This record gives sequence, structure tokens and C-alpha cells, in this order.
Amino acid sequence: MSVFTRRPGLRWLVPAGITTMVFGLGAVTTMVTAAADPALPERNAAQLLVDVQNSMVNSLSGTVVERADLGLPSLPSIGGSGSTDLTSLLSGSHTLRVWIAGPDKARVALLGTLGETDIIVNGRDVWIWDSKANSATHQVLPADPGGKSIGSAIPSLVPTNPQEIAERALAAIGQTTVVSTAGTAKVAGRSAYELVLAPRDTESLVAQIRIAIDSEHHVPLRTQVYAKGSDSPGFEAAFTQVTFERPDDAQFRFNPPEGTTIEEPSAAASSPADRAGSAAGTGADRAATRPVVIGTGWTSVLVTRYSGAVDRAAGQQPADSTGPGSAEAGQIASILSSLPKVNGSWGSGHLLSGKLFSVLITEDGRLLAGAVSPERLTTVAADPAAALKETK
Amino acid sequence: MSVTETATGTASATAVRGSSRPLLAAVDQRRPSTRFLRSELWLIFGRRRNWAGLALLASVPIIIAVAIKIYSSDGGGGGGLNFFSSITDNGLFVALAALMVELQLFLPIAVASISADSLAGEANLGTMRYLLSVPVLRSRLLAVKFAAIVIFTFTATLLVAVTGMLIGLVLFGGGSMVSLSGTALPFGTALVRVLLVCVYLTIELCALGAIGLFVSSLTEQPIGATIAVMIVMIMSSILGTIPALDWLAPYLFTSHWFDFGELLRDPIDFGGAARDGVLNALAYTAICYSAAWARFTGRDITG
Repeated sequence: MSVFTRRPGLRWLVPAGITTMVFGLGAVTTMVTAAADPALPERNAAQLLVDVQNSMVNSLSGTVVERADLGLPSLPSIGGSGSTDLTSLLSGSHTLRVWIAGPDKARVALLGTLGETDIIVNGRDVWIWDSKANSATHQVLPADPGGKSIGSAIPSLVPTNPQEIAERALAAIGQTTVVSTAGTAKVAGRSAYELVLAPRDTESLVAQIRIAIDSEHHVPLRTQVYAKGSDSPGFEAAFTQVTFERPDDAQFRFNPPEGTTIEEPSAAASSPADRAGSAAGTGADRAATRPVVIGTGWTSVLVTRYSGAVDRAAGQQPADSTGPGSAEAGQIASILSSLPKVNGSWGSGHLLSGKLFSVLITEDGRLLAGAVSPERLTTVAADPAAALKETK
Repeated sequence: MSVTETATGTASATAVRGSSRPLLAAVDQRRPSTRFLRSELWLIFGRRRNWAGLALLASVPIIIAVAIKIYSSDGGGGGGLNFFSSITDNGLFVALAALMVELQLFLPIAVASISADSLAGEANLGTMRYLLSVPVLRSRLLAVKFAAIVIFTFTATLLVAVTGMLIGLVLFGGGSMVSLSGTALPFGTALVRVLLVCVYLTIELCALGAIGLFVSSLTEQPIGATIAVMIVMIMSSILGTIPALDWLAPYLFTSHWFDFGELLRDPIDFGGAARDGVLNALAYTAICYSAAWARFTGRDITG
């Protein structure tokens, strides 16, 4: 009290000290989680692959934070950090909670502000719950033991001689990819080895993919994709917290609450991937499309014919189009018109270019995508192999 | 500098000499008296204008519930604001919807005006000098002022929630509540969840209260202080919506308010966004409260 009484100005040291402490604590926490590389015995790339394949973990629960900084232009209706729409994962930062118990029980919850989307797999039942729409989609997987259920695909990959398989796998991807290790890292408070995959092809926009593998349980804890010429990952998904105890079975029981809209699509008609991808194209004419892959390895370009909905939307103003899907068509049209226009000997189209991939939507109805530069896409577009003659 | 801590010191010394028992020694031993806090609470809850403010806060859930009862034809519009569409299923959602609506403006205004008034109001009315002549350390005076702000904040939040729950239960009935994860929470658990939301929002709003207390110690104009606090709050919200300032958002005190939804998941993740929100609020509270302390205990009082 005495010093403060004589020199009242010194009292300001207290708030200043607390401020410094708060920032200091924050900095220390990030430093501890980011920097401290744990000391672990050396493992080479082949050993790491063997470890991952031999991993006995079939139960875990944790929180995953996904960050996408794809350098995409800001588009209407894509992204947003608080969104629970599955397509919003394309940009911004998202938090997911994950529970896995055994090969046939899994739950993933995408957390949004005041909302949540859950995908729950329990045996043959698959539920998708959307809290914002207050709707649930229920699907029953075909009774196919050892077939399609999540996780059961992983044990079926377990080979008789993991070491040999790992070496063969390395050799197979070795033609296109440099596989190496990059020491150790600390992810979600656990020590991990880092496996680095780098494309040999310098044309690719991807500089490297880094996968952090838990040193004890051998499951990937973090995946980072670095774009060329970028120090920070363009895409990152990492556990911020993880435990390997078996989560309670109640976690996987889903009873749609009263008042919920329940959709029961015929089995195999739609999947989460379809739902997420439905913005890219709808309708029966997708069946008529026969996609072509031009090039190999990291610089391969996918060429596909897009659906009529986009066709109409790209040509006409959306207000006139009526009937089912017109809202979607309007949305696509507004996205298209916000993209820069490009043209060349192959025609003209709109270009979406990000740090990690480019997409070219031509006016003659083709969609070209790949982890390559826009220039390569336009070269491919002029390629006669990519002309995609109408197959209808 | 002349009338700083010494003024209170002299006052207490006089009191000691004047009273029959050794007061200063007694202060250390006896249980801290709640009299000062009670008089402070009376100042807040006894004022008619504050009654009017609380009545306004309580009216929002009633308006929401009645409007939905009358105009909702087919059991909720679906989509968009989940809380609103769920109201017809369970009355407890009225409380959550009301909290969500009032969190945008009404609750912050209430907390801002009460906290901004706490010191500047006394100075403005000229009652500060009487307050300071009470043989109480200024640090304790400030602590009592802040405690009163905390109690008011919790009361206001709870008032909105309880009014919402009562009117909701009367108009729409109770039963189990659907969590954000799509599971049904039993009624008792749901009540606890709503209470947890109130506690969380109180902690978040108390950060605003601490900012208000600090601003209040800077000026003698309670209205000016209230406006300043609101400006700080709105500025923080605006900064939180600028995409280019994404990196800043976690450090703003307003960006965690709506994370009260974390408490409505099943199971609750206490290590996630809710914890970040609490830590953020506590950091703001500590910094602003200590700044208010430095200002209030170290300055000349002219009011």
C-alpha cells in the first residue's frame, strides 16, 4: 500500500502486468503446442507406413479443427466459419468432434454457432442430422459383412506382410512422389512422427503434404497440404484433443426427436458425398457424362461434362428459369458470373483458381479441375482428348 | 494526489479514535459485512428506471411466445433460426430464443448502463465524496461496486430466462428438449442446461461490465460512459464480422457470446469454444477491473 500511496501512478503497473501476463500465457501455450519437438527414436518412411497399417486403434474420440485457406475468391454461399453446411468446409475454420468405437460405430459432428450437423454410423444405420433444418436423413446400408461400413474397409487392407506391402506402396508412389520423414511434431499434446509427401512433378500446385502420425497409436493426427510458395498450409485438419478410450455406446444411438423431418431415401441412392456435391450438378443427365482424366500423377486434370442445370444457368438469367432446381441454378449462375472470364482457341469459360487447385468451367459445357495452374487447364481444354464428345 | 488513499485512511483513523472499539483490528477478524453490498444493490434494484429496464427485458420473451402462439399456423416455420422453430415443440426454447435476441442489444445495454453508472453516476450526483468519507478502503468500494454489477447481470439474464421458461411452459408445454446434436434431453437436464447458459452469459457480460466500470472511473458523465461502453461493444462486433480480420476474432470479447450453444450439445464439450469464451471473458474482466482499480484508487476525487 505504501508505494502505491506515495506514487499513485505506479498502480497502473498492475493492469499492465495482468495484460502482459494474459498475452504471455497465450504465447506460451501456442509455443508449447507448436514448437516443442519431442525426442523419439528414428523411424523411416517405410516403417511409418507399416506402423499405420498395423495400428490396432479402433476406438477414439476427439476434436478436430479443420482450416482451409485455399485462396479462393470470396463466393456467395460458400464457407463461413459458423456454418454447419457440409459444403462450407471449403473455406474458413471449422471444428469437428469425432467418436469412433469399433469398425461399425462412428459419429462426426460438425459444430457451428448455434447449430450442428451430425453423421452417425451405427451398424447398418446411417443418420445425418441437421439441427438448423431440424431434419434427419436415415439410410440403411446393405447387409454386406466386411463390406461398405466405415472402418471395416481398413482391416481388410491389413496385409499379411505389412513391411513388404509398405515397401511396394512406396515404390508405386515413388515414381511420382518423394516420400520422406521430417522429424517429430507435437499434435494435440501427443508426440508424433511427420511423414512428408512431395510431388516430383513441378507443375503441381501442391508443394507437399505433411502427415503427423501418433508415435504410440500410429494413427494420423494431422494432415497439412502446402501450396507452392506458401509457408502456411492451404489446408489443414488436425486433432486438438484426442483420447483412445472407447466412447460410450450411447454416443452412436440416434433417435430422431419429435417434430423432425425425416428423409428415408432409397438405399445407395444418395450418400453424404452426393449431398455435399449436389451443388456441382444435379439431374439424370449426370449419368450421360463420362469423365476423362488427362495427364498422370499430381498434375492429372479431370474433365467432365456438367449438368443441364448449370448449362441453363450459365446461358440465361436465373430469374426466368422455373421448375425444380431453379433456385440452385440461380445460385450457380451468380457464382459463375462472379468468376473471371477466360478464353482461348478452345472457346471461353469461367475460371476459379485457388492456391491448391484450379477449376475451369467452359461455355461449351465442360468442367476441368486439377491441382494445377490455370494455364495448364487451358492447355488441357484445347487438347482434343478433352473435347468430350456428347455421349447421349 | 492529496485526496487519494490518505483521505480514507484519515477517515478510518478518525473513526477508530471516535468509536469505543478498535475498528481496524476488528476489520481483519470479523466476517466482512454485507451492509455495503446491500446498500449498493438497493441503489441498483431500488431505482424506478432500472425497474423499467428490467420490465423491458422481461417483456421480450413474452412478446416472442405470444406472437408465435398466435401467428404460427403449422408448428414452426422450419429452417433458419432453430430456436424459434422449436418453440412450439418445447416452451424452454422461448427462454433460449429470448436470450439470443436480447444478447444482440438489450442485455448489453442494461449491463453497460448499470456499470457505467456505478462510479460516474455517484460523481455526477455529487454523492461520491460522501461515499469516500465512509471508512472503507477504495479497493473494497470498487470490489463491492463490481460485485453489484455481477449480481445485476446474473439477475437480468436469469429474469429473461425464467420469464421465457414460465410463459413458454404455459403456452407450449414442457417435456424433453432436443439438443443441438439431435438427442432428447430430459426436462430436468434441460433446465440445468438453460441455467448453465445463464451462467455462461453472465460471465461473458461481466467482461462488458468490467469495461463499463473502467470507463466509469474515467469520467463523471454516466450517459457518456454508457455510450462509450456501447461503442466499444459495437466496435468489437464490427471487427468480428470483417473477414480480413479473422485472426483477430478469437481475441474480441463479443465474438464468444453466441457460443452458449456449446452448452446445448450432447455431450457438452467443456474444453472447446465454451472454455475459450470463459477464458476470454475472464481475461478482459481482470484487465479492465485492475485498470479501474488503478484509476479509482489513485486519482483525486472532485465530484
